[in-house]
Amino acid sequence: MDTSQYLDIFLDESKEHLQNLSDQIMELEQNPENMDTINEIFRAAHSLKGMAGTMGYKRMQTLTHDMENVFSEVRNGTFKVQPGMIDILFKSLDALEEYVNNIQQTTEEGTNDNQDLIDALNSILKNNGEVKVGDSASAAPAAPAAEPAAPKAESATADGSGGKGERWQDIKINDTEKMLIEKAYTEGLKVYGVTVYVEEACVLKAARAFLVFKALEKLGEIIVSSPTAQDIEDEKFELTFSLIFISGNTADEIKDAVKSVSEIEEAFCAEYKMAAAPAPVAAETAKVEVKAPEEVKAAAPAPAAAPAAPAKPAAAASTTKPTASAKPVVNRTVRVDIEKLDNLMNLVSELIIAKNSLISATAAEGKGDNNSVNEQIEYLESVTTNLHESVMKVRMVPIESVVAKFPRMIRDLSKKLGKKMELYMTGEDTELDRTVVDEIGDPLMHMLRNSADHGLEPNDVRVANGKPEVGSIFLDAYQDGNNVVIAVRDDGGGINVEAVRNKAIERGTVTPEQAETMTEKEIIDLLFLPSFSTAKKVSDVSGRGVGLDVVKSKIESLSGEVEVKNHFGEGSSWIIRLPLTLAIIQALMVVVGDEKYAIALGSIQTIEDVLPEDIKLVQAKEVIHIRGTVIPIIRLRNVLDIPSAEENSNKNLTVIIVKKGDKLAGLVVDELIGQQEVVIKSMGKYIKVPKMISGATILGNGEVALILDTNALI
Amino acid sequence: MDEVKVMDEQKRNASLNRPTERNTTQFIVTQLGGEQYGIDIKYISNIIRMSKITRVPKVPDYIKGVINVRGVVIPTLSLRLKMGLPEDEVTKRTRIIILTLEQHESIGVMVDEVKEVVTLDEEHIERIGYEKDEKERFLSGVGKADGKLISLLDITSVLSEIVDV
Repeated sequence: MDTSQYLDIFLDESKEHLQNLSDQIMELEQNPENMDTINEIFRAAHSLKGMAGTMGYKRMQTLTHDMENVFSEVRNGTFKVQPGMIDILFKSLDALEEYVNNIQQTTEEGTNDNQDLIDALNSILKNNGEVKVGDSASAAPAAPAAEPAAPKAESATADGSGGKGERWQDIKINDTEKMLIEKAYTEGLKVYGVTVYVEEACVLKAARAFLVFKALEKLGEIIVSSPTAQDIEDEKFELTFSLIFISGNTADEIKDAVKSVSEIEEAFCAEYKMAAAPAPVAAETAKVEVKAPEEVKAAAPAPAAAPAAPAKPAAAASTTKPTASAKPVVNRTVRVDIEKLDNLMNLVSELIIAKNSLISATAAEGKGDNNSVNEQIEYLESVTTNLHESVMKVRMVPIESVVAKFPRMIRDLSKKLGKKMELYMTGEDTELDRTVVDEIGDPLMHMLRNSADHGLEPNDVRVANGKPEVGSIFLDAYQDGNNVVIAVRDDGGGINVEAVRNKAIERGTVTPEQAETMTEKEIIDLLFLPSFSTAKKVSDVSGRGVGLDVVKSKIESLSGEVEVKNHFGEGSSWIIRLPLTLAIIQALMVVVGDEKYAIALGSIQTIEDVLPEDIKLVQAKEVIHIRGTVIPIIRLRNVLDIPSAEENSNKNLTVIIVKKGDKLAGLVVDELIGQQEVVIKSMGKYIKVPKMISGATILGNGEVALILDTNALI
Repeated sequence: MDEVKVMDEQKRNASLNRPTERNTTQFIVTQLGGEQYGIDIKYISNIIRMSKITRVPKVPDYIKGVINVRGVVIPTLSLRLKMGLPEDEVTKRTRIIILTLEQHESIGVMVDEVKEVVTLDEEHIERIGYEKDEKERFLSGVGKADGKLISLLDITSVLSEIVDV
């Protein structure tokens, strides 16, 4: 069977199940007695096993099968969940993840049998839940693993099979089919009605059905099915499908063939007799007298009116309900190649540029006298804005997909480091551009590890310092204007600035004289230099001096930035600020000298008209005093090396107050043009652009204007 | 069908493209100050008239800024300044040649004038030895066509320095 068309679904759903399993096992560790969790784990493991089996990934199937066995016993109350067990389960999850990753890369699951894990799982079973260290390695290797999956699967599902009937009797047959059946009779073949019930937990129903069809086609010929073959292929059926089948084999052989496909709950097979009185259910429903074969056709519509009929759909409905709740309602989604989206985005960008040039063209032609054109332009503007927003939204994904793995990571770190800690996350639903989300995982992981390893003190030190024994790490994500902020915070010891200072001197990064004059912030910035680590012992977790510099460069490559807030003795927070989008922004166009620049609207606080005499000098730096705040002034003319024309010192200054976090600065510009949507374009690799320029954009008249990165200016 | 095509191809090569077999290269000849420089045509994707160049602060002076070529922002450099010649004087004949190197993006170079396309035989190109002076760093050789001497630019070395900066 060619399963490649299901590979994507398989990968997606496997990952979903794995994440679910991971979450649930975490939950189980907290509440070992929670039956709901155990059931959920069992269900997820079972689905995973079935899926792996269908796709022919035997190793993955074996391992999940053994995990499932353990849960089955826990569910039956044979033994209880124990801490050692959780570790083995997590290791098994890691192994499964490895399989899935291998499959994603090569479509093969790899050759690692993970025999030690299988042995460990089986030894749990053998010893009634006791986890014996060392036992896993010495246990007889292959024997337990070979134990077949069948009895388990059946016992788990057999209880649900009551109340199911031979629905094939409801199948309508038309004249052609009737002829085929009659022909089969004359050839001495038998005609059977087959009804197959798929397990509730079955994920790839269509694939199962396909396998059933395949199995049956080896034995004979399928005449008609209900629902139709096309509907079955499209998964447009509940848990059951029926078919009429011509074969020379016996009913039992057919039944066995169907049941050989995994995740098939029950199969009914009986000889199909056209003229004879139908089986009980059909007899009741069909009130029309059964005279001739063609009447079977007429009988079919009748059940709708018959009293017995509703009973079965109801039964069917009740069995399908749990499926619906276990698996989210089928998402109406389409998977799109990110490249196609980028392309779409580029086109939207071009459209916006075209619209902007229309606006500037009409503005140049004469003002106000062309109302209908202006109206149309305004209409065009609202359409392009909406289009842009929609395309942007398509590219936005919640950061949840990245952060979901962190609780598990912290748990493992907690064990490895021997420190008690807890991770609290908020704002997992914060959305970011797809490209950013894909890249942000590693930096965040580094920072969490950093907090766990360096940030939090050992438990005894914490207690001695009057802190709760269990350390807390917080991961908060939220949107702030045009930025998304992700903060990693801990209540540990904070950064020991003196230690960093000494280390820097010792390493020769700075001279003792330099170190004396450096501010706390400057010292902390040293941490982001390559190969700078203050960890006294190099651990497996962190402290090799790679990490923070990688974090910084990664974030900066995403046009974001990292800020550290340190409270020595109370903890530190690491704040990542990322742009919401990388493509189109609302900007304020300004003129400095005779050049035009764009400033992202999101970073602008206010625009002030300042008298020249209001500018004061503090420590040889220009500042202004606005509403109780002292704000440093940055003259863009100087910063941007703009050839200075006459600078009229008596004129009022236009100052744009921009913010970065809680810091403010005032940018002096010559003139304001207005607000405009600008498309951010890369400036190519050939020039090394200064940090204060975040990109370029094309104006309505075809000129290029540079976009100022105010964050780099402050 | 395919075979016929292949045979046609071979025939055409044999008759028309004979020079190709003798290693010829086409160059675009540009005027820069009093001299003529040749740029290998395979790197050239476009030649445009002078358009408004947007200055970029804090970059080497030979980088004149960025321009918009059909919706793409392309950095532009002055070949004169790069070669140590006096600053460009923009005239009606000033052109920007858009170069595209494999795997890199495009870059524009300003020249005084674009003259013609010449096809040079390998035997009409004199390769310059290893001892190159400051200006010759960017040359791959000197070509002779119709009695004129054309300095052939080694575009990769002109641009590689920029990329590394």
